[in-house]
Amino acid sequence: MQSCRLLGAGPQLSTFCVLQKLSGTMFILCMVIMGASAFTVQPEQHTVAARNCQFRGKHFKKYYRVEGEPVVLRCPQARSWLQTSASSHFNTTWHKNDSGRMVPGEEEKRLWVQDGALWILPALQRDSGAYVCTVRNASYCDEMSIELSVLENTEASLPFTSYLQIVTLSTLGLLSCPELSEFTRNKTGLNVQWYKDSVLLDQDNRKFLSLRGTTRLFIYNVSVEDAGYYSCGLPFSHNGTRYNITRNIKVRVNQKEEEPIPVIVSPHQTILASLGSRLTIPCKVFLGVGIKSTSTVWWTANDTIIDSAYPGGRVTEGLEKEYSENNENYIEVPLVFDPVIKEDLKTDFKCIVTNRMSLQTLRTTVKEASTFSWGIALAPLSLVFLVLGGIYMYRWCKHRPEKGYSLTTVKTDHEDF
Amino acid sequence: MAVSFALPWSQDGNLKVPLSYLISLILLLFHSEAACGPTQRRPYKMQTFRIWDVNQKVFYLSNNQLVAGYLQAANAKLEEKMNVELTESRGGMFLGIHEGKLWLACVKSGDKITLQLEVRTCFRYWTTIKTQQNGPTTSFESAAYPGWFLCTESEGDGPVSLTNKPGNATKVTQFYFHVEQ
Repeated sequence: MQSCRLLGAGPQLSTFCVLQKLSGTMFILCMVIMGASAFTVQPEQHTVAARNCQFRGKHFKKYYRVEGEPVVLRCPQARSWLQTSASSHFNTTWHKNDSGRMVPGEEEKRLWVQDGALWILPALQRDSGAYVCTVRNASYCDEMSIELSVLENTEASLPFTSYLQIVTLSTLGLLSCPELSEFTRNKTGLNVQWYKDSVLLDQDNRKFLSLRGTTRLFIYNVSVEDAGYYSCGLPFSHNGTRYNITRNIKVRVNQKEEEPIPVIVSPHQTILASLGSRLTIPCKVFLGVGIKSTSTVWWTANDTIIDSAYPGGRVTEGLEKEYSENNENYIEVPLVFDPVIKEDLKTDFKCIVTNRMSLQTLRTTVKEASTFSWGIALAPLSLVFLVLGGIYMYRWCKHRPEKGYSLTTVKTDHEDF
Repeated sequence: MAVSFALPWSQDGNLKVPLSYLISLILLLFHSEAACGPTQRRPYKMQTFRIWDVNQKVFYLSNNQLVAGYLQAANAKLEEKMNVELTESRGGMFLGIHEGKLWLACVKSGDKITLQLEVRTCFRYWTTIKTQQNGPTTSFESAAYPGWFLCTESEGDGPVSLTNKPGNATKVTQFYFHVEQ
């Protein structure tokens, strides 16, 4: 069982173990081996010591390479291992997971280990598979597997081998030929060739500029047509044989992100409402003229998102509505109270809008529509004043023509005196 | 430095500092690992951005470390998008990854400022990043430690870190930062 468990490190090997268990003869054989190993204690301990290597699993990144080209696999755990014990000397070995054979094997001249990295030159489709890298020194050992897929360099393999790179419309685009550092280290005068849809982009091309000595390609004034599959190639010589290292790139053209800062048009700073009634406060945001916006609008109550502030749902955010008025785009999110309670009068409500890198807020408070309203109080009062004023005017007007008369009357009265 | 720790609260525009926050502030002053007030919630919604450096390297997680490198189409699902929560101060933001489960924080260690991934208990000032738009590219500066910029290695896959020498040829501090389309 011990041997099975040890073998069970890889998924394929564990299947092998299961098969062993199913097969009676194989099981007996396994027991015999175990029995035999029990008598040879010393070699067993040695094997365990050799195998007692922490298996850190499969590296999350798979490598897709093109047939006939040089491939370099570097121990994925070496980087972190080196960081933790940089001064320790360590020994790196490689073996192929399916065959268990050590690489480089005696029969294979195409594979060798150089500075801890596994070189395959040229890579063939049959080299595909999982490679286990073991890093050890006197006191420490760990291993990790890395998956390699060697594919034919055809259009059908592009979806697997290509790297996505993004350029922006109407700007200077920059592509980078990826994962060449193993071949470009300590080298000057690099000559990376660039292709678009298999057509060489030569130096005379005004649209593209490949900077000699770098792995970069500039695309002047990026247009929609610049999207598509590119490939870059680096010539590489080994023992007098010339090879090419190809990387495929899928270029996507993004729209330029130029968006005006949105403006919150409403609500007002204070909203009047009567307690117990239903209230809707719309937050209306002007997004700009004739553009597609990435704005998001939402409400907060005392700096808490509405859903969290009112789990009971008394106050909710209504449905977001996007609309156009004379080519001007607006977005509206209502805040719905059902009903308004006293607590809302002390709550700080904010409408927030963000787009890309801007954030705008507008604060609003709910005020109770008071039962003693000055408007209501003033209406009868003004009526009274109006009536009184009317009476006075009436009397004054009535009195005026009578004035002469009354004077005469007075006079008369006076005469009477 | 102690004064700037008080800023997360004023940044939220919350001028009335409740007692619980004052207690947390005092705790912070004495012990920087103290948690924020239990009721503190960020009111802002996350936006998702795609980030890549000028060498077209994207971010991914390797052994719980944020790494910038090249990913082939079949590995593209490993790419980490940036979760952004803007602050009310212009250009200020919190940057997270992994659907907002981990947040970038600038932490002092000796003379250097290092980048760490924090599981968020609350928003802290040293997790605030200031952005600066330089034409089509953006640079990210630590708000707590001005002069320290988010950077990637110019050669090979390497950890995303902070540098106070943004002009250094071995480091890349310019990024493309687009809303996920």
